Amino acid sequence: MLSVLIWFPCIAALVIALLPQSIAVAKVRLAALFLAGATLLWSLGLVSQFDLGNATLQFQESLPWLTDLGLDYQLGVDGLSLPLLILNSLLTWIAIYSSRVETKRPRLFYALILLINGGVAGAFVAQNLLLFFLFYEVELIPFYLLISIWGGAQQGSAATKFLLYTATSGGLILAGFLGAIWFGEADSFAYEKVLGQTLPLNIQCVLLALLLLGFGIKTPLVPLHTWLPDTYVAASTPVAILLGGVLAKLGTYGIFRFCLPLFPEAWRVFSPWLATWAVVSVLYGALAAIAQKDIKRMVAYSSVGHMGYILLAAAAHTQLSLVGAISQMFAHGLILALLFHLVGLIETKVGTRDLNVLNGLMNPVRGLPLVSALLVLAGMASAGIPGLVGFIAEFLVFQGSYTAFPLQTLLSVVGTGLTAVYFVILLNRTCFGRLDNRLAYFPKVAWRERIPALVLTLLIVVLGIQPAWLVRWIEPTSAALMAAAHLPTPLVKTVGLTIPPSFAKDQPCLRSPLLGV
Amino acid sequence: MTTTASSSTRLPPSQHEFAEIIHRLEAGGAMLPDTPENLQQIIGIYKAYAVPMDFYWRNLLYIAERVFLNPLPLFKYFLPQDYLDLPNHYAGAGADLQIWRGEANAHPELLEFLKKGEVKRKLPKLLHHLWHDRINMEFAEACMRSMFWHRHMGGQFDPYLDTDEYVANADRAIKAYCQGNPVMLGLYKLFPEMFIEQVRQLSYYSNLGLFWEVMAPVFFEMSDLYDDGKITTVPEAMNFLVNGIFAIAGRPIYHHVYIRGECYEIVPKSKGFMWLYEAALPYVEAVFYRTSPFRGTKSYNAQAREVPSRQEDFHYGILYADVFPVGSAGIPPTLLMQDMLHFLPPYLVAYYQQHCRGGDDTLIQLGVSFQRSMYCVTSAVIQALRQALLYPLDDPNPEHLQANRDFFEAQLDRLTRPEARLRDIQRQDYR
Repeated sequence: MLSVLIWFPCIAALVIALLPQSIAVAKVRLAALFLAGATLLWSLGLVSQFDLGNATLQFQESLPWLTDLGLDYQLGVDGLSLPLLILNSLLTWIAIYSSRVETKRPRLFYALILLINGGVAGAFVAQNLLLFFLFYEVELIPFYLLISIWGGAQQGSAATKFLLYTATSGGLILAGFLGAIWFGEADSFAYEKVLGQTLPLNIQCVLLALLLLGFGIKTPLVPLHTWLPDTYVAASTPVAILLGGVLAKLGTYGIFRFCLPLFPEAWRVFSPWLATWAVVSVLYGALAAIAQKDIKRMVAYSSVGHMGYILLAAAAHTQLSLVGAISQMFAHGLILALLFHLVGLIETKVGTRDLNVLNGLMNPVRGLPLVSALLVLAGMASAGIPGLVGFIAEFLVFQGSYTAFPLQTLLSVVGTGLTAVYFVILLNRTCFGRLDNRLAYFPKVAWRERIPALVLTLLIVVLGIQPAWLVRWIEPTSAALMAAAHLPTPLVKTVGLTIPPSFAKDQPCLRSPLLGV
Repeated sequence: MTTTASSSTRLPPSQHEFAEIIHRLEAGGAMLPDTPENLQQIIGIYKAYAVPMDFYWRNLLYIAERVFLNPLPLFKYFLPQDYLDLPNHYAGAGADLQIWRGEANAHPELLEFLKKGEVKRKLPKLLHHLWHDRINMEFAEACMRSMFWHRHMGGQFDPYLDTDEYVANADRAIKAYCQGNPVMLGLYKLFPEMFIEQVRQLSYYSNLGLFWEVMAPVFFEMSDLYDDGKITTVPEAMNFLVNGIFAIAGRPIYHHVYIRGECYEIVPKSKGFMWLYEAALPYVEAVFYRTSPFRGTKSYNAQAREVPSRQEDFHYGILYADVFPVGSAGIPPTLLMQDMLHFLPPYLVAYYQQHCRGGDDTLIQLGVSFQRSMYCVTSAVIQALRQALLYPLDDPNPEHLQANRDFFEAQLDRLTRPEARLRDIQRQDYR
């Protein structure tokens, strides 16, 4: 089943690329949408077959490939990768839907998007380190082309920067993986074999540092983030949705899949520093967002801040924080996609992203009232307002991390306050106030253009009200991740706290009556 | 009305920022450019405005004369039939001065709307009211309050409201109204000034009602003349207004109250307050120029001097208004636009469909048309004042022409503020 998720989009990309020139752009787009929709349906089918009681890898596939190199075609899915697979399929469909009908060179554009979809799916299900690396790297060229050909201002330099950074990221990750094999006793890159080995602490520390830098660039974390604002801003709306919603998740996925379980002792040593690093990312991202005048750049910096929460949860590595982190990956993907879609709509209709120019879009007659209302909702979700999926994810992260790193957690909570600050700035200047008479002749938003936003909003609200529908997929895997990696007790002692015996015995569980799930 | 281009040839060109518009006024034109599109918009809007205005004036008089000091005026907008049948003094065959050829009682479109509302279904009146499917009298009251709040704008009517004679008249009416009601009488004893102030406000209800009683048939007739092809240019429309203003200038402004069948003359007709000076000019000054910031449209920082400290410097009227926030928060312009929306002539509906967002933003498009039409009305007032106070446009004396020009320039000085829409209405793409 999993191979379909990888190869069907790749074949679809080939079909789209080879469509005759005589076919109209709208039909090419429709075909891409249909094929992406089929992939999404397949992903949902996977969900329906997924066994919640089974915390191990499911739907495993294994084919020998270059066995001498330790590279075999090994796939599997668990509660960590399943939500991200769904997110990948959903956001690909959303990205294609939100693309302009008049997109130039549509065959190449949609083929590259479908290729990315297959590649990302491959990375999420790969159970071989080298296979993961191959899928991880296969994204670079399509993204580079998508940014440099269909991007906005300064797309060339942004695409080059993206390529340089992410290629460096790939190099570091490859070095880390090779080190894990060379210094360990595993005879292949198979994930389960590498997982079981024990490495000396100093080796673990070096390899972990390499992987953290590699995945930190992709995530990105401060100060490895400098490619992100330029790239997100230069990218067109569909590409920005994929960059922020899907590609960035490869970085955090890598941290949880490889860094944490493969080098548990080193992780324990690093975790206080990682928690502090997370706080720096959160606060820096939020403060930088406050300083922006371009709403797309503001959203880009908000992404930097929100990735910090995931690192904080990973550093704390309690079961609850892991659930929170995976939830945050999913929630952030939805919210960021919604934000980018809405910002893209505003830019298309109004012709500017400048906070000093935009005003009064909430105007019910001549403004963009529904877009503005959804922007308010997306801002609230991002700031962690209760009732929306962002709140659930952030609450779980903070609840799970506080026992390990109370100070860093509290500082991160300040970050959510700052998130509210910059979203209030954004909403106040963009949606409220007086609609400028000189500008207010933009066309209305068609229902067709609203559909992606409405789909994402529905998910954000429904999962905010009923979070169990999200976390039920994640809980068993997060418990298994903790167990499989032999992770030590969360580092409560490092902050001078003692765990009540009952609390330590019963890790905070989402199915607690207190949480109502 | 005389139209001449001679003044601009006998005087050097104006150096005013709006020199072109001043030359146009000197040639007998309006501030609004003379284009068929402008004419269509302003006449269509006059018609759409006149229908709710026909309700406004009747209801304003009803409140001033019958509701009076009712402490719980829950049904003050439920106009009784006798006020709908109240003959307009300037319409119909029996008019004192027939301006409009139509009937003197309420306009047929108005009666149809009052019966079935926007939903086009005959439902109990209370349901229409609660669904807000009705004429928005709140707009009329907002205009009245604006006049009342900007008191002391000149004339004789307003100072009269502070005289002992007025207070004595009001006192008689209050005591008659509160007769047999010890609570009201007790309250009047405790807070006499509050009651008097309420009566002053009711006098302004009457003032505005009497003003609009004239304007509704004027606008109806203009619409009919346009339909007949007898008004073909903006200056012709403006001149019709100027002539109307002079024809009705002497109409008395008064305030009568009917209590238990007896009429109490709070502002007697015998005082001789004239429509032009006591109603029309204060209305234009208060509503077109001054008013006050509407809630829900823009935040003003008084400490940063964004709100003038002197009332006469206020500049929030329709000539300055940003009509783009129309549709927000139940503000008075929105209420008026909604009222006019129900009575747009078909040619204006078709016109709005062709521009901007088609039918979806008609409220704003008709708001801009309304602004254009009010610039035309203001032009008529300016020309009427020039005619009353200064010299003909074709006066052979250059000094007289210079005096006219000084007058026009002084009037247009008020519209040089950045908020003024005079610049915008010169463009056809301002919609």
